[in-house]
Amino acid sequence: MRWLALIWKSLMRSKRRTLLIVGSLILSVFTVAVLQSLLTTLNAVTNNPNSSNRLVVRHKSGLTQMLPRSYEAYLRQQPEVETVCALQWFGGYYQDPRNFFANFASDETTLFQTFREEFGVAGITEAQIKEYLRDGAGCIVGESLAKKNGWKVGDVVPLTGTIFPINPRLTIRIIYKSPKPSDENVLHFHYKVLEEGVSYMKGLVGSFWVRTHRPEDIPRFIERVDRRYANSAYETLTETENAFNLSFVKMLGNIGAIIQGITAAVVVAILIVTGNTMATAIRERTTEIAVFRAMGFSARRVLLLLLSEGILLVGVGGCLGVLLANLAAGGVRESLGMAMPFFADFAILPDTALVCLAGALAVGLLATFIPAYAATRRPITDGLKAIG
Amino acid sequence: MNTDRFDLGGGTPIITLRDIAKSYWREALEIPVLQGIDLEIPAGAYVALMGPSGSGKTTLLNLIAGIDRPTGGSLEVCGHELNGLDDDQLASWRNLHVGFIFQNYNLVPVLNAFENVELPLLVSGAGRRERRERVERALTLVNLTDKLQNYPRQLSGGQEQRVAIARAIVTDPDLLVADEPTGALDAKNAEEVLGLMERLNTEFGKTIVMVTHDPKAAHHARHQIHLEKGVLDKAVEVNR
Repeated sequence: MRWLALIWKSLMRSKRRTLLIVGSLILSVFTVAVLQSLLTTLNAVTNNPNSSNRLVVRHKSGLTQMLPRSYEAYLRQQPEVETVCALQWFGGYYQDPRNFFANFASDETTLFQTFREEFGVAGITEAQIKEYLRDGAGCIVGESLAKKNGWKVGDVVPLTGTIFPINPRLTIRIIYKSPKPSDENVLHFHYKVLEEGVSYMKGLVGSFWVRTHRPEDIPRFIERVDRRYANSAYETLTETENAFNLSFVKMLGNIGAIIQGITAAVVVAILIVTGNTMATAIRERTTEIAVFRAMGFSARRVLLLLLSEGILLVGVGGCLGVLLANLAAGGVRESLGMAMPFFADFAILPDTALVCLAGALAVGLLATFIPAYAATRRPITDGLKAIG
Repeated sequence: MNTDRFDLGGGTPIITLRDIAKSYWREALEIPVLQGIDLEIPAGAYVALMGPSGSGKTTLLNLIAGIDRPTGGSLEVCGHELNGLDDDQLASWRNLHVGFIFQNYNLVPVLNAFENVELPLLVSGAGRRERRERVERALTLVNLTDKLQNYPRQLSGGQEQRVAIARAIVTDPDLLVADEPTGALDAKNAEEVLGLMERLNTEFGKTIVMVTHDPKAAHHARHQIHLEKGVLDKAVEVNR
């Protein structure tokens, strides 16, 4: 018999209790891992490093209001600006309304330059770009989106408009790969398809995405643009891309505080449950612990054995919880990644998994140490109940 | 029976107690359990500690076995002054020198007979092969080689106590301490266990100190020491 076997057999003395506590640990670690990963994913949306020198210029009254495309000329003239891309959320679907994904009408001439990190431009050839620019009914799609729908270059994708009364038939000219999965669940087509197909959109656009030369140019630029259009019929709200994304996340409320609150509640609950279970398990073995010590196991060795049981218990529960969270993350990416692109990046990152496992181990140690220490401090004769 | 007071015969003492006292405290109230115990037990002795409930016999056994400490006096067992050992040293000392036999066997329910007997060897530093040999030898001695894989719930009371005896002797200790070893057994199994203990004493030279209420069990010992209200009352050599 080895030490690990002794620890394992001790843990398995009450299989039902062990399974129940492992089950509650799995659920707790799963919940914490998923919630913390959700927070990480949302934070990544609002802290995108590619966005450090990108801005969004939109109507001050809201996203449903349009801006004149003529603003583009002024924006381009600003010394801080590298490029400007007019972009309009189209909101169409392919074949079935449930088959929803992000699709935009965008200025094909500046799209690749403005979003060069997302499009992985290095992988797209000049010839492909030329082909896309040449074909007014062309479109570009991310690899994930193409794979999901079985598309390849040259295929025709009929989109059904939900916001605008047109159903464009688009030919795929480029399938791009992106460093982030969420950026591959997107389709872009030529802005003029929208402008020509929808009469009231002529000369209008929902937003301009501006790339500046340097991040430090941004405050000056924002101040100048918004001052220029203040009190006009089309007042602008200029903000960084991260701030723009944050406004969407904020629609969910103070999700960070909610998640941290739930996490704290779960940790406290599992600490109490584990502590109570370990205390009961150790109390039931008072005589056995005394016998071990009588046979020559030092108090320290018995304490180590009991702590090992606690650590093994939470270790198994923690690992299974993280594993389950990983499986769930895959499901979330599959089911929500198209409708809400940031969920395509949803994953249990190694950091989060490690923090969850470390937290579980800390809970196990704390919950086991107190009853185990008390048990090993108890006189052997008390444990044996043998006062003659 | 002879009634020579506290003379357990010659030979090198394996247990020497000098003016041993033990008290317990209930809040501020001191409850003396043993007082002025002077006793020498020679190596190879088989002693039954007897006396009414509360006379201090189990407390005396616990002190000899090093699982309790006296409040006064000195105590040398198996060549070691126990008062001078710290808790870790005392644990190692017990592992090397003392085997325990309890009334309720106290086997670990989740371990089979082999693993229960192996337990004391886990801290002795013995290698895997040595442990296996020793465990098999001990279980052969108690005639349980066919029950190696049986769990305590699959054994009779007598068999459980024999496993406990195998566990007590597996480290080849000099001293066996037994607290009412037949208290939970029927007459037949009790006789079997007592016969086994007698054999360990006569054939293997183990010193045995046994607490018992049962005169029949005490008759298997070579000496009986009677305690009365925490003091030694008389020592009796058993004639068989």
